[in-house]
Amino acid sequence: MDQKPVIQIQNLKKSFGQREVLKDINFDVHKGEVVCIIGSSGSGKSTLLRCINLLETPTAGAILYNGSNILSSGNTHKYCAKVGMVFQQFNLFNNLNVLENCVVGQVKVLKQNRKEAEERAKRYLEQVGMLQFINARPRQLSGGQKQRVAIARALAMEPDALLFDEPTSALDPEMVGEVLKVMKSLAESGLTMLVVTHEMGFARDISDRIVFMDGGIILEDGTPDEIFNHPKHERTKAFLTRAMDK
Amino acid sequence: MEFWSWVSRILEQYGSLILEGTGITVLLAIVGTAIGFAIGLLIGIYKTIPIKSSTPMPLKILYKIFNFLLSAYIELFRSTPMMVQAMVIFYGVAYAFGITLNRLIAGLFIISINTGAYMAEIVRGGIISVDKGQAEATHSIGMTHLQSMSYIILPQAIRNIMPAVGNQFIINIKDSCVLSVIGVSELFFVSKSAAGATFQFFPAFFIPCVIYFVLCFSITQILRYLERRMDGADTYTIYGTEPVINGADTLKRGDVK
Ligand SMILES: Nc1ncnc2c1ncn2[C@@H]1O[C@H](COP(=O)(O)OP(=O)(O)O)[C@@H](O)[C@H]1O
Ligand SMILES: [Mg+2]
Repeated sequence: MDQKPVIQIQNLKKSFGQREVLKDINFDVHKGEVVCIIGSSGSGKSTLLRCINLLETPTAGAILYNGSNILSSGNTHKYCAKVGMVFQQFNLFNNLNVLENCVVGQVKVLKQNRKEAEERAKRYLEQVGMLQFINARPRQLSGGQKQRVAIARALAMEPDALLFDEPTSALDPEMVGEVLKVMKSLAESGLTMLVVTHEMGFARDISDRIVFMDGGIILEDGTPDEIFNHPKHERTKAFLTRAMDK
Repeated sequence: MEFWSWVSRILEQYGSLILEGTGITVLLAIVGTAIGFAIGLLIGIYKTIPIKSSTPMPLKILYKIFNFLLSAYIELFRSTPMMVQAMVIFYGVAYAFGITLNRLIAGLFIISINTGAYMAEIVRGGIISVDKGQAEATHSIGMTHLQSMSYIILPQAIRNIMPAVGNQFIINIKDSCVLSVIGVSELFFVSKSAAGATFQFFPAFFIPCVIYFVLCFSITQILRYLERRMDGADTYTIYGTEPVINGADTLKRGDVK
């Protein structure tokens, strides 16, 4: 991991009204790195991802993308196109079929020509095992299938990094595996990933680093071995004990 | 007997006039609904522009001012009868600028902006009805607000508000008759002329009654049909391999090479 950081979070804060949800967050994500964010519900994990993706405007701090602060730059659309997001609720475009879901961003945002965009979309849909469903509408798919399409849609933008916000939490148990399998292969392919998850086994297996969030701060940041086997803080231990019991 | 013979006499004598009036009524309804819908879309897009805390102050203020003007327009037109709006605009223009507007053009203008005020609210409701997650997803792949609206949100919003828009169209067919107060020669206006000339009020208004009903009823049916078509097929074809689907008895052939 001696690569340059793709994303650097510096002194990031976010308040909703009086309530400070993120308090001085600092960390880097390097190229090719897979970082899992764990922590109990309400600790600010989603808010952090949403700030990085500019779905929320941070109250203070900086987000550096390849070295430049995107919070002080005027045009953020290009940045958004290059840092993708996979949502808990899939958020597929319901008016478009599976193929078009993966084509529309390439054509409209990246100005790719349609034929190349379709080729690329099919390549990624094949990678997530959804190629045969390109004509289907989102409403005709199961949750696991929808999430795999959502991943292909994000990949089709050929992002520098992908953010995942609890990608398997809305799925029936029997569908969790198929999505995790896809994510594991992405991690192995060298994609830069920042994943919020409650799947501890998955986090342990695929992460280069684990970040433990608690009450709006990063309490611990280390390798899976450090976090799972030698946690420094009581709260980390307590959380892991609870999470492992499930 | 007397009644039907009057009906046929009025039709004989005023048939072409009534036909023209019907044409004007349909024109008012179509133009009013179409322009009103366009106004509604523009306002709907404008009203849902995300204003962030990072937006520069002058822009924010400009946005607020224009937003206020739009709200004033909507409230003003929704809270006064179109008949009164017609009088105020038509005679107001004559009073202020000393010009007499072409009555048909004035009528088209009034019904359009009146409908626009209602459409703005209908469209806004339609946009809100599309789940917020999809808007976030468009943002996460770098789309602008306009792109997000044009390709993802509005197509779904428009589908959702089709029944309300159709309803507005029906209302416009009927309510365009109030424009007779400024002398727009639509169906009600010409019927009134026929009634005044013959002193046969019942037969003279029975005819437009039937025409209004037939217009509204058939348009309702057409809109229902269009709505069903917009929903598309319940099946899809499996790419590359053999055709399959949702229901076992609705097999379709694969169409993709
Ligand atoms: N839009 C919002 N407005 C107000 N409070 C919010 C908003 N979004 C999140 N919060 C609050 O911020 C805290 C952190 O939420 P979240 O980031 O979703 O946590 P996590 O993803 O770790 O469960 C929660 O207490 C939540 O209620
Ligand atoms: Mg969350």
